[in-house]
Formats: sequence, structure tokens, C-alpha cells
Amino acid sequence: MSQEIDVALVNVTKKFGDLVAVDNVSFEVPKGSFFSILGPSGSGKTTLLRMIAGFEVPTSGDIYIGGQRVNDVPPNKRPCNMVFQRLALFPMMNVLDNVTFGLRRRGGMSKDEMERLAKDALARVGLQGLEKRKINQLSGGQQQRVALARSLVLEPTVLLLDEPLGSLDLKLRQSMKLELKHLQARTGTTFLYITHDQTIALAMSDTVAVINHGKIEQIAPPEELYRRPATHFVASFVGENNKLTDGRVIGFQQDDVVQVDIAGIPMVGRAGEELSVGDPVDLFIRPEMISLRLGKHENGILGKVSEINFDGSHSLVVVDLLDANRPVSVNVKIQHTEDAPDVHVGDTVTISWHWNAANAFHPVDQSHIEVEV
Amino acid sequence: MSASARRRGLWLLLLPMLLWIGLLFVLPHLKLFYLSFVDRRSGSFTLANYLYFFQSPLYRKIFVRTAVFSVLVTLLTLFVSFPIAFIITKVAGKRLKAMLLLAVILPYWVSELIQAFTWMVIFRESGVLSYVLQKIGLINHPIEFLYHDATIAVGLLYTSLLFMTIPIMNSLDTLDNSLIEAAYDLGGDFWSTMREIVIPHAAPGIMVGSIMVFMLNLGNYVTVTLLGGKNSLWFTEIIYNQFIVRFNQNLGSAFSVILLTFSVVFVWIVLKITKQDLSEAM
Repeated sequence: MSQEIDVALVNVTKKFGDLVAVDNVSFEVPKGSFFSILGPSGSGKTTLLRMIAGFEVPTSGDIYIGGQRVNDVPPNKRPCNMVFQRLALFPMMNVLDNVTFGLRRRGGMSKDEMERLAKDALARVGLQGLEKRKINQLSGGQQQRVALARSLVLEPTVLLLDEPLGSLDLKLRQSMKLELKHLQARTGTTFLYITHDQTIALAMSDTVAVINHGKIEQIAPPEELYRRPATHFVASFVGENNKLTDGRVIGFQQDDVVQVDIAGIPMVGRAGEELSVGDPVDLFIRPEMISLRLGKHENGILGKVSEINFDGSHSLVVVDLLDANRPVSVNVKIQHTEDAPDVHVGDTVTISWHWNAANAFHPVDQSHIEVEV
Repeated sequence: MSASARRRGLWLLLLPMLLWIGLLFVLPHLKLFYLSFVDRRSGSFTLANYLYFFQSPLYRKIFVRTAVFSVLVTLLTLFVSFPIAFIITKVAGKRLKAMLLLAVILPYWVSELIQAFTWMVIFRESGVLSYVLQKIGLINHPIEFLYHDATIAVGLLYTSLLFMTIPIMNSLDTLDNSLIEAAYDLGGDFWSTMREIVIPHAAPGIMVGSIMVFMLNLGNYVTVTLLGGKNSLWFTEIIYNQFIVRFNQNLGSAFSVILLTFSVVFVWIVLKITKQDLSEAM
């Protein structure tokens, strides 16, 4: 690869007793990119980050930062800094002392020089003039920025972020999300961000690695992750999806365009993995990719509107499939544009979708996974 | 329940404590204060008891010795307790933690008197320490380890270790481990993290522990007299002698008031200097 790699993991495994927290994980983070690790709680993402920071030692495998193997390098000597989940600002110091802490440890710099660098870093995150404040006199968003400045002032090769936006309320989280992205673009520092919040991961990242049970499920840019999930887990975890279960493969239109029988109705979709005729499958369809027409039409699936949930810019229409041999309903998202169909509960409608709006996977026992829909 | 009834209930609950403090602390001290200003024979008002103390070089020296020694032993206790508290709260796993905690608490299941006797068994000329040192050939004749200042220091350290360790443990418990990790992550090492993060956070606990241990040392009688013997020269011994041996309640009272006043003023000054608030520290 011609691109410079800032962080590389090679076959990294971490066991706690019998528990395998991280299972043979490999990936590369290109220099200057915003890389997210997305996974549900307990998926091993925090352990992964702590190994990169140096707080945990891998059971096997190698970790490289800036091309150097760092397995045996203690956290205080690694060229990476971490923004902690609960920020871990030092309450016994004021803002300026928090930001200069790392510089003071590094030494070889005059006090004025340190203060100048710290003030620069604080200005970069929009906190000029608050140098003398105590930490507990700051709002949540301001503390967030101090934590960023405290790490960025050291100009790390890579900045590790442990879900630092999780504790903020929704509005603030939205604005900090954009700010973080802009900050990353401005500084050009490599960001490695871990989160369970897919909206954050999708919106900010250049690349997202989805992790589950310690294993990487897929590494891809957000759009590809969304449109072409590689596994059953990614399809159900990332974004909203209709999950139609108990299907069976009945044939192929092309190599990876599969025909699936769901409750006696033939449907099309993309084969997300290697499938053969007769295989049991689950079919995932994005609600916003389904087109809905009023009345009965050819080339579509007939249904009856049973529920409409208004949600501002769009409505979620629940359609019960009429020809199904068991109750199956599909959620359809309609944008409130001028030519949007005027649907009411009880209407007969026809729904259809392009094959690449749906993804078929072998069913997985997921009783232990909470799927956010 | 009406407000007045609730208030009455509150007072009722506080009553045992108020009686305890009033009858066993305030009243005796008022009496002590009164006696210290009374002439032993005539029963009239006098400052002679206090003048006697300030004019006697021996008593002044013993007083200063007691105070300085108490401070030094308090510092020694702090240096021994802090690592113990840190290891119990931040380093040890569950099992080791329970074991260490038990090891710290266990000595307090026996009284101070028994503890002191135990030390005597170890330190006396025919005692365990002397015997072991002879056996391994470090010394060639029995040595009396009792009746030295160092022996007193060891005894005092032992009796007050818990009172330093527990408050420090309490304050270290509230220190978020991610703060320590953050300090390391930013390039800190063991000492800088201790100096800038851990110790400032534990300061209230250190303060409470030090105040308690200092008071305990200053007012100690049993350990000091048993381990120090006639050489202990502890101020509480002087007070004891005035009350019990010389039957001079008035002079003894004056000495008591001096000791009490000193310890209160000293603690107040230390709190002022270290900018700690007692209510916050407690």
C-alpha cells in the first residue's frame, strides 16, 4: 500500500482468562484519516483501544504505531494520546495546567513556550480566555474541548477517542460531532474513534470497522457499510433495516442477485455472502429504499397500510403483505416531498425495491445481541 | 407528623450523643479548666499553676519533646500508611485486597495494652529480636531494645496505623482510575502522577488521618510508658504523676489544659497553612 499507515494491528488477540475479548483482529489506519471502531457494548472495542493506548497487553499479535512495534512500549512513551470516555480531566488543576500537563512531563521547554502552545491548542478548540477556570466551572461541552486540547497539544501521531461524546445531550452531541470532524480535518491528526453509536460513526468517519464478539465483521467506508453490509450482524446493526426472517433461496437472477421466498412471496435482493438454492436466509431491506405506489400494480408486492408514524421530514408506513401465508409486515419510509403518495391507514398499496436495496444472509442465532432499529 | 413533633423526635435521637458529649467531655473539661486556675491550698484564684509550667525548664522541654516526637511519628505513620492505602485501593486484586485489609485491622482486635506487652516480649533483652539476632550471628550478646525513642516510635506507629490508613483509603477510593491512566497517557511517570494527581486528591484523607494520629500520639500513655519506661519523658506521664502520684489536681489540670490548647491550636494552624477545610476534610 502506498499510503502511509499510522496504526496497524496484526492478528491481535486478547484473552481475559477464558474470555476472548479481542479475537485475531487486524486492520490498518491510514495517516490523517478518521477511523471508527463501531460495535455494541461488550464487543471488545474498548479493550482494543486500551491495547493501542498501552493499558492492556495483547495476548498475541503485534501493534504498530507510526511504523514502530509498540507492544513493549509503556503508555507514557507511546506517540498516541487518548480522550477518555469520562474525559478524566484533572479536577485539582485549572484548564491551563490540565493542557500543559503533558508538555511539563515532556520537559525541555520554557514555561512561556508551554503556555503559548497550550493557549494555541485551547484557541483551536474554541476555548480562549478560559485558561484560569477550574474544571468544575465548565459546561460538559467545554470540558470535552479541554480534553481534546490536552491531547492535541502534544501533537500525537494518533488521537484515540473512547466514545467521549456519549455523555453529552443530543443537541450538544450533534454540534460536537461536526466540530470534531472539522477539527480532525484542520489538524490532519489521525483520529481513532470508538463508539456504539452508528450515527456518529457513519457521519464522521472515513472508514468504519464494525466489531462484534471481538471479531472484525467489516471494514469499509460508511456508505459501503450501509449499502453493502458484509455480514448478517452488520446488516442488522448498522442503520434501520427491515429484517424478514425464515426465507429460502429459490434461485438466482445474476451471480449475486438472489431470489428469496418469504412467506410464499418471491422477493429479490443482493446475496450478501455465498448462498445456494434451498438455503435458509434472512432478507434485510432499507425502509427508505422501498418505493410505494397506491393501488394494485404489476411488478410489486401487494399490501395494506396498517399504521402510519409521522416523524417530521418523513413518515414510517407499516405495510402488511396481503399475499403472505403468515403475517409479515414491512416498514416503508416516505419522504414528505410534493409528489409523495397520499397514504392512509387501510389503503391498498404496492411496494417494490431494486435488488441492491436488499441484502440476504444466512440467519444467525442473535438472541444475545440487541439490535437497534 | 407535624413539624414540632418531628423536631422533638430529632432531639430525642440526638439525646444520647448530647449526653455523652455533655457529661463525659464538656463538664469534666470545664471542671479541669476551673481547677487549673485554683490554688491548691487556699482554693482562691491563681495563675501560679501555669506560671509553674512556664518557669520549669524540665516540663517545658518534656512538652516540646512530646510535641515534636508526635509530629515526627505522625509523618512516619503517613509514609508507612500511604503505600498501604494505595496498594489496597488501587493495585491489589480482590483477594489480596481483603487479605491486606484484614492484616491492617487484625492488630486492633487486641487492646493497646496487649499490643504493648507483645512489643515488650519482642524487644526486651531476653526477647525475640535479641535472640534471633544472636542466633544468626549479627550480635554476640543480648541487647536491650526497650526504652529507646525508636521503640516508642515503633509502638506508636503500630497503634495508630489504622487511623491513618482508613481515611487515606477513603479518599483514594473516590479517585477515578482513569485519572491515573490519563496522567500516564499524557507522558507522566509514577512520581509525577503521584505528586500531581494522587496526593492532591488524597489530601483531605491525609489531613484527617494526620490530625487523628497526631492527637492519638500526643495523648498516648500506655504504649509510651510501657515501651519507653522511665526514659519516655512524655507529657501525659507528667500529668498522670501530678494527679495520681503527687495528688496535685490543680497543677495536673493546668498541664492538661496546656496540652489540649496546644493540640487544638496546632491542628488549626496546620489546616490554615495547608489551606484545608476541616468540614471538607472530614
